[in-house]
Amino acid sequence: MAAERMKQLDWDSAIEGAESPEIRVEKVSRVNFVRYAGASGDFNPIHYDDDFTRAAGNETVFGQGMFTAGVLGRLVSDWLGVQGLRRYRVRFTQRLWPGDDIVCKGRVVRRYEEAGERKVDVQVVALNQKGEVLITGDATAVC
Amino acid sequence: MAAPDSFEFPIERGKVHEFALAVTDDNPVFHDESSARAKGFASVPAPPTFAMCASFFQPPGSQAIPEGLDMRYVLHGEQEFIYHRPVVAGDRLYGASKAEPSFAKEGRRGGTMTFYPIATEYRDAAGELVLTVRTVTIVTSGTVQE
Repeated sequence: MAAERMKQLDWDSAIEGAESPEIRVEKVSRVNFVRYAGASGDFNPIHYDDDFTRAAGNETVFGQGMFTAGVLGRLVSDWLGVQGLRRYRVRFTQRLWPGDDIVCKGRVVRRYEEAGERKVDVQVVALNQKGEVLITGDATAVC
Repeated sequence: MAAPDSFEFPIERGKVHEFALAVTDDNPVFHDESSARAKGFASVPAPPTFAMCASFFQPPGSQAIPEGLDMRYVLHGEQEFIYHRPVVAGDRLYGASKAEPSFAKEGRRGGTMTFYPIATEYRDAAGELVLTVRTVTIVTSGTVQE
């Protein structure tokens, strides 16, 4: 993984429509899903046990929605910083399959002052390698 | 003070490191105390979705899952985190969950979707609100065509 970090968004560059750098995780695998299960405590076997997930009518295991949301959270904390982050919300659209890529990007929706604080609202999205939406999200941070 | 039905959620540095690795996050602020201090934190801060680990600490009976909701047949629709201040390793949080009123919408592909929001508030030992986590679970009825 690159040692170079994304430049954090500042007030002057937080112009409506300004786009974030992209984060890409290539070819996710069952290892990612198992690690996320262990770290998060989401031990639903549908995400790592092929026999179980086939019996439930799926072709194969698929990623936890919150794994993808965690990867998209990387973009949120890299781009907006941890200190000023006030809100992060995700909605789940499509499943993540082994071998898929995750591409995360964001866009400034609004910058404004509220109760003496400078704030920015952004929209973020995680796509797969075909450009299909895995999850959409939005976040607010003090900028 | 901690509410009587609350559960303790200790924020541990090792767990923050493990969780950040699991979401492929190599930002040193989550892994290295000196990087965290250089950014003004007392210790490593929690990544944005770290509160998912609270499942290790929350007793199953305190999750405020509405009666009759079979969690095997539901969709995770939405997840929201509201940060009142950064969560940092060494914090001891106390969480309490409550169900919010459910609401229904017509699905685009037929059937009714019923939304069940559950909010969990995390406070510190002094009773200050630190983090609010909202989970929206969706139950679909009728035929849903993929």
